[in-house]
Amino acid sequence: MGTSLDLERIKERKALRGFTNLFRKEKQAWWGTRRWWINALLWSGMLGGLVLVMLYILPPLAAATGDPNVAKAGGQAAFGLLMARQVFFELGTLAVAIGVIVLFQDMIVSERQSGLTEWLLAKPVARRSYILSKLCASLLVILAVLITLPALFTYIFLSVRAGSFFAPGTFLGGLGIMVVNSVFYLTMTLMLGTLFTSRPPLLGIALGAALGGNLLASFIEPLLYVTPWMLPKVASLISGGQPVPDGMLWPPLIASVLWSSLFILIALMKFERTEF
Amino acid sequence: MEYASDFAIETRGLTKKFGQVQALNDLDLKVPRHSIFGFLGPNGAGKTTTMKILLGLTEPTSGGGEIFGHDIVSESLAIRERIGYLPQHPRFIEYMTARENLIFTANFYFRGPQAKIHERCDEMLELVGLTGKADRPIKGFSGGEKQRLGIALAQINDPDLLILDEPASSLDPIGRQAVLEIMANLRERSTIFYSTHILDDVQRVSDTVAILNQGKVVASGPIGQILNGKDGLVYQVGVRGPADRLRERLSELSWIKNTMMKKQKDSNLWQISVSDEAAAERKLLRHILDDQRLTVTEFSRKEYELEEAFMNIVKGDSDGHKS
Repeated sequence: MGTSLDLERIKERKALRGFTNLFRKEKQAWWGTRRWWINALLWSGMLGGLVLVMLYILPPLAAATGDPNVAKAGGQAAFGLLMARQVFFELGTLAVAIGVIVLFQDMIVSERQSGLTEWLLAKPVARRSYILSKLCASLLVILAVLITLPALFTYIFLSVRAGSFFAPGTFLGGLGIMVVNSVFYLTMTLMLGTLFTSRPPLLGIALGAALGGNLLASFIEPLLYVTPWMLPKVASLISGGQPVPDGMLWPPLIASVLWSSLFILIALMKFERTEF
Repeated sequence: MEYASDFAIETRGLTKKFGQVQALNDLDLKVPRHSIFGFLGPNGAGKTTTMKILLGLTEPTSGGGEIFGHDIVSESLAIRERIGYLPQHPRFIEYMTARENLIFTANFYFRGPQAKIHERCDEMLELVGLTGKADRPIKGFSGGEKQRLGIALAQINDPDLLILDEPASSLDPIGRQAVLEIMANLRERSTIFYSTHILDDVQRVSDTVAILNQGKVVASGPIGQILNGKDGLVYQVGVRGPADRLRERLSELSWIKNTMMKKQKDSNLWQISVSDEAAAERKLLRHILDDQRLTVTEFSRKEYELEEAFMNIVKGDSDGHKS
């Protein structure tokens, strides 16, 4: 084989055979097509637009209707800053979670349905490389397109409105929590993609967890400590340098990281045993 | 260490069950090196399941096998380094062009130099006649072009073994012809193991075949041997005149295995199965004509078409299962 070919053979560790090439393919699916800039425009426009509305349109309207929160915040500018920050970190964290589920729901399912997965796995590829390449490439997209870019615009808008740089430490703290929350839903979506061969159950479970979690936790409060459902609120408090109630920061954060690790583990194990 | 066996693929007692469904039943297969091996069988016979097991996409329930001496379960990665695979419905990365798909596939095997990888891709495009369409999006390709690109992708690593699942089934006659020619051209370099239900194609390009029915190999060997059918060598003799004593006289000859007579309009057509070709050539006609009352209107060696042989074998096997 290949003796006539003057080509250098790949030398990759068996355990991650094919990862580099698959990761390149996954990146190209985003960065080599128009998907990345469409989503960059969409997410920056949506979250940045909401922040601008909170900063410049809502305060005068609230003041005109005699909303006492305007005075309580210390004026229209301060009220706008408070609302913009809350909207970006609370609503934004939830919106990004839903975005993650919708954007990545078919990263495994569609390739399995089309037969592409089968074809790829007939190459010298370790199955874990297939899963990990998707995870890493998706994480890059989430960090860059869904979080960093809109956050950058938001930070600029907040700083311009405040007339000075918005506290970077607390802002980054809030963003960190947003990332943990997004990773939770990304790994959950990835795992569900290995467990189901069609989209409806995957979407039902993942969106149910993102949207119905808080409702469920209102009946069973301890769930808030072992799930990421409190994280949007925590992100908002952290970003404003406000104190977080006891037990509301580390337990859900650690639980979310542990859940994410478990989801990855299940995805790897399930995919290793899947028959095509 | 080079693997010394004459066979590219060897399976022993390969069995696969999906719940209560027995997809493969004790499958023994030997695919000679550098053969174009046709893997035939009716729908649901287990052809694709066999291929998937060989590729490591699914695991056998019991039994096992080797490809170039590597175990098909525990050494699948090493096997996949040396094979090329064309699924029944080839899939591509849709946002890539034909050339980009080839480069992507080549990157699973080679890391460089890039100029040589590009050269290899050009070679493959030329082999399948797609040089002019190398930089066009895949979505504009016809079925035949996709199939040819699929073969180029399967061949990019210069594999020792090509596994092709129904490579020509969805193509028009021109597309089929092109695919068969490519397969014939690859014979020197690789062993080709392919499944199909187009028996005409098998007869044209294969040198060895196996017929699979209900998960079991019911016939296997060089194509000439399969074409002889399960009755072996058969002569057809048209005889006019009273045939009352002919059967009895034929049965006296030790090299005649079996006789069958069909009445026709003004003669009888005898099918005489023999065990000794030389004796039959020399003596059969003379022996019949010894009876002065008989006139021979036709004398020929029966040649089976693969379709006929296939139907006989599969039908015989299925009847055997029922009884």
